Amino acid sequence: MSDTGGQLRQALRLRSARISLGILAVVIFLGFAGGLLAPHDPLAQDTAHTLSGPSGEHWLGTDYLGRDVLSRLMDATGRSIVGALEAVAVAFVIGVPAGLASVFFGRFFDWVSQRIVDSVMTMPYIIFAVSVTGVLGNGLAQAMLAIGIFLAPLLFRVTLAAALSLTRAQYVEVAELLGASRWWIIRRHVWSKVLPTIAVTTAQLAAAVLLVVSSLTFLGIGVKPPAPTWGGMLSSDLGFLSQQPWAPILPAVAIAFTAGALNAIADAIRDTTGLESVPTARGLFRRRPAYAAGPATEPDGATRAQPVAIPAQEESSHA
Amino acid sequence: MTTLEIGRPTAPAPTSTQSSAGRGGALRWGALGRPVLRVLRSAVVVWIPVVLLSTFITFGLGALTDTNPAAQVLGETATPADIDRMNHYFGLDRPFLVQYFSWLGHAVTGDLGRSYYTTLPVTDSITQALPVNVSITIVALLIAILAGGALGIGAALSGGGWFDRGVTMLCSAASTVPPFVIGIGLIVLFSVTLPILPSGGYVPISQDFGQWLRFAILPALALAVEAAVAIARQLRTSLVGELRENYVVGAEVRGLTRRRVVFGHALRNASGPAVTVLGYYVPQVIGAMVVAEAVFNLPGLGKLSLDAAAKGDIPVIQGVLVTMIALVVLSNLLVNAALLRLTPHAKRREQ
Repeated sequence: MSDTGGQLRQALRLRSARISLGILAVVIFLGFAGGLLAPHDPLAQDTAHTLSGPSGEHWLGTDYLGRDVLSRLMDATGRSIVGALEAVAVAFVIGVPAGLASVFFGRFFDWVSQRIVDSVMTMPYIIFAVSVTGVLGNGLAQAMLAIGIFLAPLLFRVTLAAALSLTRAQYVEVAELLGASRWWIIRRHVWSKVLPTIAVTTAQLAAAVLLVVSSLTFLGIGVKPPAPTWGGMLSSDLGFLSQQPWAPILPAVAIAFTAGALNAIADAIRDTTGLESVPTARGLFRRRPAYAAGPATEPDGATRAQPVAIPAQEESSHA
Repeated sequence: MTTLEIGRPTAPAPTSTQSSAGRGGALRWGALGRPVLRVLRSAVVVWIPVVLLSTFITFGLGALTDTNPAAQVLGETATPADIDRMNHYFGLDRPFLVQYFSWLGHAVTGDLGRSYYTTLPVTDSITQALPVNVSITIVALLIAILAGGALGIGAALSGGGWFDRGVTMLCSAASTVPPFVIGIGLIVLFSVTLPILPSGGYVPISQDFGQWLRFAILPALALAVEAAVAIARQLRTSLVGELRENYVVGAEVRGLTRRRVVFGHALRNASGPAVTVLGYYVPQVIGAMVVAEAVFNLPGLGKLSLDAAAKGDIPVIQGVLVTMIALVVLSNLLVNAALLRLTPHAKRREQ
């Protein structure tokens, strides 16, 4: 554990990681305090100064109702990231324990979980989130729960792949021979080794989910209209592009910087821990082409003597 | 376990003798038969549970809600008798599982029920909206393949040069910007600053091809960026890898031109992973289209679903979701079939 913790700390000493952490710290701070620190009321309309450019009073200008853009951006921060955090937390809680557990369960569990992963990954998740809010009522919590369930397979697959490569390590075999329980092995040996991989994927996932959240809030899902969100601001800017073509840049930059910082941290961890073969959150699916779904179901006795060995081979063949 | 064409990775697939000899049926299909059958079998084993599970989840969500759709649709002035009549009309007074299987049975025959609000058949609304999604998605994928391919090959050949670095930078920048932001940027560029293209709207392809293209090109471009960038990145990596292989050195020693080595040999082997990436991005593009429809004001499936979601029109929501899944499954099968045709690697690994 101390070994891995040291590696993670080493990663965070890189300059890119420090800058990214700084950005994230600002974002999180604004998430908590942005609404209080905002120079103006984000909802106050100043009808005399609609669509004005940057000025001493309104540093980033005003929108079509004369609301202060800077205050809206700051106030929107919390609302924009909380949804992403919820989805990632849901995905983490479902995906990681299941991934660790399925290493040690038999072929049947492996097969069933793989089928669930396949089916959940088929659905385009934005339309699924839209459907969920249509059925359960319009709320960010519902939509993000749906997205979190959707992304759980991703973390599941990463955890499973990383843990599988460890179960064939000699010290794990020795521990098994010495009579260690499965849970003890997972806690003592597997978890600390899998942690960097999971950290990389979680950071990338958070970045990807942030983009999904902004897409949903752009569509008007999850947040009631007057309350500002980054996606919602983009949506209202869209109607006034001929007057203020630069306006969408501000929320877009807020989204891109936050997502970019998360990706940079993921890269830093990956580089320092030497996780050459860690699949990226986006690249995860491409490591296991869909035709590989076939072999897992084939009764190929010769090579399937050890249930845990097969997916490991499958992974390495596409690495 | 047989190995296929390990020595000659560029040989076309039908040269394998083992399956055609074994079957003695139509020669071409004999050679192709096994991989194709395998794709079909995986389709049956994987996708049928997928469709069942995902429709069951969405249908179950509808049953979980405590609000009565009929009461919601008919408004506050409805009498209990009205609500009962509507419940009976839509079959909502039946047990949940009966509703699900009856819906499933009708869905198989292409009947997705009727809208709670307009009582029009859902299938009709979907067949109206579907061409918008399919045509723009196809254009987006074509752009992604062409642009991604060109960028990837260019980056690989200029290995480490300014073009390579530029493509890498472009790729990391594009992955932090959601497609709809790219769409807004394109509107600013091509509709506001340089007013040469419409900022939104749609003309059916059957009505006027030229006009359709003018309306379709910006959304397609916005959707293509993410996939193009991913294809470029993957193609660059695998092409650089292939160009280090022994057979490339051998081909160069034999005096083949660089062009023939790259396009005739290395590219074919390198394109397998890129096609897999494409396969992953097809559902992404289909999903991102929902947001692009809102940006560019297109009358597609996403708009249908958003409008239905705002009203709680569950049959329409379900219908769109099932159509989307069907699109994803279909495109996935096509990509897998293409992959099998394209790369001997795929066949070898499968065995």
